[in-house]
Amino acid sequence: MSDERPPGILPRHGPGFSRSRLSKLVTASCVLALLGLVVTMIHFIWPTPLMFALFMIVGQGSFAVAMVLYLVVIVADLRRRRVL
Amino acid sequence: MHGEGVFSGDLGNVIRWATGAGIAIALFAGILLIRVAFHRRGWKILPAAKWILLVALFVLPSITMLLGNVVGFHNTKQSCTQCHTMDPWVADMKNPDSITLAAKHFQRRWINEDQCYTCHTGYGLAGNIQAKIGGLSHVTHYYFTGVPEELKIKRPFPPETCLHCHGDTQRYQKIDQHVDAEMKPKILSGELSCFECHAAPHPRKKKQP
Repeated sequence: MSDERPPGILPRHGPGFSRSRLSKLVTASCVLALLGLVVTMIHFIWPTPLMFALFMIVGQGSFAVAMVLYLVVIVADLRRRRVL
Repeated sequence: MHGEGVFSGDLGNVIRWATGAGIAIALFAGILLIRVAFHRRGWKILPAAKWILLVALFVLPSITMLLGNVVGFHNTKQSCTQCHTMDPWVADMKNPDSITLAAKHFQRRWINEDQCYTCHTGYGLAGNIQAKIGGLSHVTHYYFTGVPEELKIKRPFPPETCLHCHGDTQRYQKIDQHVDAEMKPKILSGELSCFECHAAPHPRKKKQP
């Protein structure tokens, strides 16, 4: 059986993460980025020292983790497509 | 002219605009992210979703975070007096009978605004970044890890901070000790602190009985 697929169509079970796992990672990345944005908005509205500390630690921290997760998704996707 | 508008030259206006822009961009990014997060599972790894995510997850939040840093770090300049930990120092600074250098500089407006920040920040970009990271560490101690019982300055007060304003003045140059061949290098290197001869910048700590 041939392993070749039309361009853009991902194999269901190729090397690395499965499609559903990639999708879950994207969702987790979005939720973390949303958390970061919510903390940032609260910090904009109430610019107290406590909110600033939360923005620096929780807000930017969750945004950084969201970025890392999204990077993992991109790398995994490229590996599935055998670009990397 | 100082007035409403981002181009008025008033830093406060720029910060207000940055705050507004930050909130608007965060809201837009949030709406996009909610749409992606709750879209059907297979759609999230299609090329269309990737383009949306590039904007909603990377570009817009990055701008928001940058604006958050600008606004947050600007506001920290005025936050020294908000912690009760600093009450004794602030009380001295505002005490009309105080003879400390901080009180004189504050009450006579020798430094017009952000007095704590001006003296406790090194000059140049590195000084600003260092002071702001230090400020963040103070806030973290205050809210999360606890304030140390004994407060002390992290590193010796650099002479450049005083000399930045006073160094080139005629009054400073007229004092023999300031220009003395033996003492001048010691002053410049910080080996001889300004406060060895001049009044203390803040009240001396009371000795424990």
